[in-house]
Formats: sequence, structure tokens, C-alpha cells
Amino acid sequence: MPKTVYDVIVIGTGAGGGMAIHTLCDAGLKVCAINAGRRLNPSKDFRNHRMPYDMKFRGFNDPKKRAQSYGYMDNEYTDGIWEHEITYTTAPGTEWMWPRCYAVGGKTNFWGRSSARFAEIDFRAASRDGYDVDWPVTYEEIAPYYSRVEKMIGVASTVQNRPSNPDGEYLPPMKFRCIDRILESGAKKAGVPYLPDRIAQLTQAHAGHPACHYCGNCTDGCDTGSFFSTPWFLLPSAEHSGNLEIRTNAIAKNILVDENGRANGVAYIDRQTKQEVEAYGRAVVVAASCVESARILLNSKSRQWPTGIANSSGQVGRNLCDHMYGGAAEGYLPQLAGQPGFPDNVSGSTIAWMPRWQNLANPHEEKFIRGYSVYPGGGCSEFPWYFDSIEGFGSDFKRQIKRRYPTPVSFTMQAPSLRRDTNYVDIDPEAKDAYGIPVARIHFRWDENTLLMWEHAKQACADVLKAAGGELTGASEAPEIPGYSLHETGTCRMGNDPKKFVTNRFGQTHDVPNLYVADASLFLNCTDKTTTISILAFSLRASEHLLDNLRAG
Amino acid sequence: MAGQGLERREVLEILSLAAAASGFSGFHRWRFICQHNDQAAVTAVRPASYTPQFFMATEYATLECLTGIIIPSDGSPGAREAGVAEFIDFMVAHEPAVQYEFRTGLTWLDAHARTLHGKPFRELAPEQQSDVLKPLAYHAQNRPAEQDGRSFFHLVRRYTVMGFYTSRIGLEELNYPGLKFYSASPECPHHDDPEHLHLKSNA
Repeated sequence: MPKTVYDVIVIGTGAGGGMAIHTLCDAGLKVCAINAGRRLNPSKDFRNHRMPYDMKFRGFNDPKKRAQSYGYMDNEYTDGIWEHEITYTTAPGTEWMWPRCYAVGGKTNFWGRSSARFAEIDFRAASRDGYDVDWPVTYEEIAPYYSRVEKMIGVASTVQNRPSNPDGEYLPPMKFRCIDRILESGAKKAGVPYLPDRIAQLTQAHAGHPACHYCGNCTDGCDTGSFFSTPWFLLPSAEHSGNLEIRTNAIAKNILVDENGRANGVAYIDRQTKQEVEAYGRAVVVAASCVESARILLNSKSRQWPTGIANSSGQVGRNLCDHMYGGAAEGYLPQLAGQPGFPDNVSGSTIAWMPRWQNLANPHEEKFIRGYSVYPGGGCSEFPWYFDSIEGFGSDFKRQIKRRYPTPVSFTMQAPSLRRDTNYVDIDPEAKDAYGIPVARIHFRWDENTLLMWEHAKQACADVLKAAGGELTGASEAPEIPGYSLHETGTCRMGNDPKKFVTNRFGQTHDVPNLYVADASLFLNCTDKTTTISILAFSLRASEHLLDNLRAG
Repeated sequence: MAGQGLERREVLEILSLAAAASGFSGFHRWRFICQHNDQAAVTAVRPASYTPQFFMATEYATLECLTGIIIPSDGSPGAREAGVAEFIDFMVAHEPAVQYEFRTGLTWLDAHARTLHGKPFRELAPEQQSDVLKPLAYHAQNRPAEQDGRSFFHLVRRYTVMGFYTSRIGLEELNYPGLKFYSASPECPHHDDPEHLHLKSNA
């Protein structure tokens, strides 16, 4: 039997892979997608509509499972979706928390949905402040891709005219809740912007998808497909075209090459049979997420590529960046005490944001360079977690819990790490995963610049809360450990110089013209914005570049 | 994953608090005081329709009594109506790591009640029960020799809150507005009062 040769093998079905699959299949190419996990069934696997009392352990999870659970998203509501196998190690001195979702659609099933465009100020950051290098693209060049992505996925926001936040093509914004209007008035006094977030949540029916019904708990998965995920938005048309085959439970092991060192397929392990299988294609797109993509390239050693495919620059796995997350302030708004319950939890709390306001006019205005953003949230939630700050018992305790119910607020900082030589991914010389594949080893520490942002954010958020008439009760003792945000970037950076960068400015690897990277590993750094919409935009651009190349032969 | 999951995420943080609380030093000082765990008290307990999986009948009766004091039925339903003791029994039965603390804590409480008022906790008058619990519950009234009792009280209080506010009754008590169908993004209704300084009080 002659072996099947697909047009393109795509590794990963998340934002990057999903967009590549969608673009290539729609253009008539035969695509084989390699996905590490299973397909999810929204009606069975998404338990977002369940009340705590519908769950056996009321959402607190079976203590036996709790011991293995990894990260707060891995809980009773998402039981069976997050991975529990070891997939990476850390170098001495590195803390790295990295929950993995291998299901089809990857992290897009559960993402936070904030969708701000990167800006010229991000692409030209190095020119402004002298640190590191500029991106090889201009905002003008990328803007049309953002517009197309916004039309596909639906992003709700407003025109805000801010230098760090180019405006896009938006659905009507989510409405401000009482907590937003109070904090907005405080932010105004404190000189900090407080605006509707750019959120990929459908405030009206869009592109064949129903409008959001604001039930909340989006992080457990959306069973109506009212926010963007690849299984709801990008994969169905690709499957309908008849051009897509998804191989599930397939752990990509390495890229296969011909005698000239060009990519001609992918070897993967079937998780059920534990057998190695090969899939062949005329081109390969790697979009397994930042660290996994680096791992696959570094594990793809051959006579032609002794240090890993597309790694003649030695830059694969280098330049790892991440978002520092931290609870910069928390407290409550006494104005709302005793008010009736209001549906504050209708989007997992990304209705509003405080977009970067630091170092805009002058790149050296603050003690740190670049900038961070903040996501405020709060109000009536599913559980009165603030109870521990109320003393006593009895009727008074019960009354206090109810009085405080609408009042809690908190501020989450999102700050970019700076690119450093000491933050990178390599292959652990000893450790292997359950399938015998060498695992990624992470080397990462927060830098001084990012820690200065953390200190700045604590002060700024406390100021906003106090100016809003709120009571500050504290801040997290320390920011979250690295990896927590799942926003890692930079392990296959793009740039014009093949000696210094892994891919060109389209995501095509310099060394191997039929091998593309289409996830956040392309990004020069992580900016103050979330990564998903930019992964979609850059993957769309890379996929069309690949399409042109394949058509040209 | 900006700002997402603040809701259910908090539930897990409560659990880590519970885990920290269960790491307290233990009850060795009290272990032998209550050896005369009398048969009379056991037989005095009215058999409940629920058969506890972990707690013995007397322990369960004391636990139910405690949960009812922490979140009382006072015009609106409390822990008893919400079956909080059943929830705690179910959770503790599945969680060996906290079993010792619950069991020895209940023993401590009865021994302590006997020392102060001559009867096991659940047989005391409501004012006496309050007298026993207040020094454990309020920082300003803390007494130096009761560290173990304080830890136990806060453990029970935490599980009581966990059980009550995840029940249908508890969420109705809070008027929990989530997991409903809204046809439009819910909006602040106080258009003329951005700072919300002039709201009518509802509680």
C-alpha cells in the first residue's frame, strides 16, 4: 500500500494549530493534525452549568484526586481534562507551574478570553528603551490580520484611543457592573485607566455562534460555544471540508526529514498502543505551544540537524518569557454592603481592565522599562471565600457573610518578564515522559524589572481601591510562580537574521523552508497583553505564507 | 488566562486553608482526659435518619450541634436544614488527613465543656455553649491554654461554611445570582450614582 502523503502535518489544535488547520483546509489542502489528547464532548465534559450541590464533592473535589490535581483549573468540574503525567522538569532554582491540557482545542477550551492587540509600542520596544531587539514586523503590517481574526472570533470592547492598545473591530462591550463603576471612579481620581476589556465573548450572535447567556464559570468550558475556542470556531469547517484528519492521543515525538534535511513528516506515539507512528506531509506546521514546540524541534535530531531541526542559530528553546501574575490588591467596597446579589460573575471577571499606563510617553518614566496591565474583578461569586476575615459564629456571622457578599474586589497584575539568556528550555539529559520521549527542562527566574512592576502594581491598585472608597485588606505575599499564566513566549523567535533567529518574520524556519512555527514561541517577548489573539493573527499570516509557498511549488 | 476563574478558583484556596489548619500540633494534652466516654451519652443520642460514614453517633450529634450554632436557623434556614453535618461527615470520611483533627477535636470539646460546666458540649444550655465557643472564636477573648481548641473550632467553622454555602439553601440565603440565563450583559442599575454613595440599604 502506498503511503499517504498529506499536504501539511499540523502539530497542535489550539489557537496556533487551529488557525493553521482552518486556513489550509479551507484553501483545499489535505491536512493531518496531530493532537496529544482526546476530543472533548461539550455536553459531557463541560460542567460549567452545574451548581456546587450538583457535584459529588460540591466542587471541592475528591481528596484523593485533589492530591494529584495541578493548578486551580484542574478541579472537580474539569475532572479528566488536565494531564497528570510528567511532561517536563525544572533546573535547580527554577519554579515552574505548568498545567497541560492536551484535549483537542487545547487551552482555547478554557482560556481567559482577554484579546488585546499588540501595538507598535510593543513591536518597537527595544528601539524606545534600548533593551533587546525589535520585532521584525510593524503594527501596520499585522493590523489586517487582527481585523480578520476579530471578525472570525468576535471580540467585545470599545474604541479607547490608547497608544499601547490599538483599537479593533468590536462587538458591543460587556456592561459595567456596580463594582466597575465604583472602581472606575476611583481610577479616575488616581489617574489610572479603567475601561472595558477586549473580551472574546459574544455580546451578540456572531458568525453563526449564539450570544453569550452570561451564566459565568467560563473557565470550565462553554457548552454553547459563545466564546472562541478552536473546536467551536475553527475546526468544524475544516472537518466539514473533508480535508482534515485529526489523530487524537498522539504525542508528537520528532519531525522527520528527507536526505536534504527538509521536513517530510512527523513521528508520534499513539498513547493507547504506545506504538510509534509516522505521518507524512509536504510541509509541517509546529504549534504545540511554546515550550512543547521547542521540545519537539530540539528532539528532532538527525544527521542534517545534529542539534535539533531548524536550530542552526542555537536559538531554539532560548529567550523564554512569561507573564508574572499576582494579586496586587484585594479588599472590599463598603458602599455595596447589604445590597442584593448582582450577577457579577458573568464572564469569569474580565469585563474591565486597567490597560498599561506606564512608560507610554517616556520609556524611562518609571524605575522599570515597558509596562504591565491589571484585571480587576470581584462582586458576588459562587462562594463567600472572604468568610475567614469575619470573626465569630451565629446569627451575626451569618448576617456579616451576607452583607459582605457583593463587596469583595481584587486586582490581578499581568506583567511581562524581560528576555534574558538565563531563561530558556533545553532537553533534560535523563528524564523521559511516559512514552520514552525526552522531556523539556525549564530554566527560569523572574527578573528585577518585572519584580519592580509587581511593587508598582501593588501601590497603584491600592491607590485605586482607596480612591474608590474601598477598604484595602492586603495583597498576595508574592506573585504567582512562573508558568502559572500559561502565557509563555519566545522559544522560536522570529527575525530577519538567520544567525540570531529561528524563523523569518512569517514564521517559516530559516533552515527548513517547509517547516513553520505558528504559536507564541515566535514572539520576541510577551508584552503586557495576553497571547491568544496574537497567536491567531500570526498563525493566520504564517499559514497564508505557507499556502503561497506550496502553491508556488 | 487573564483574570479568569476567580470564582471557582477561590473554592480551592479555601481548601488550602483547610489543609493548613489541619497541620496543627495535635491534641496529645487532652487525649486521656475523656477516656470515660460514657455509654449513657451514647444511648441518649436519638438515632438520626442519616447514618454517618465516619463519625460515631455521639460525635455526629456534637458536630451537628456545632454547625447549627455556627450558622443557626434564625428566621432563615441554617446549617441543620442544609444538612451540613452530613456534608462534613461525607468529606471527612473521604479525607484521612483531617480525620484525626476532627475526632480528637470533638473529644477535646466535650472534655473542655465538662471542665467548665460539668456536661458534654451538646448537653449544655445555649448560653453555656456560647461561653465555651466565644474564647475560641474571637481573637480578643482568646485564652492561652486553648490553642488546640481554637484550631479545631476554626476547622469546623471552615467546613461548616463550605457545606452551607455550597448547598441550595445556602446559595439561596445569599441570593446567588450566577448560573442563570441573562439575555443581555447585566448592567449596574444605579445610573445617577457612579460612586454608589447613596444606595438604599437592604440589610
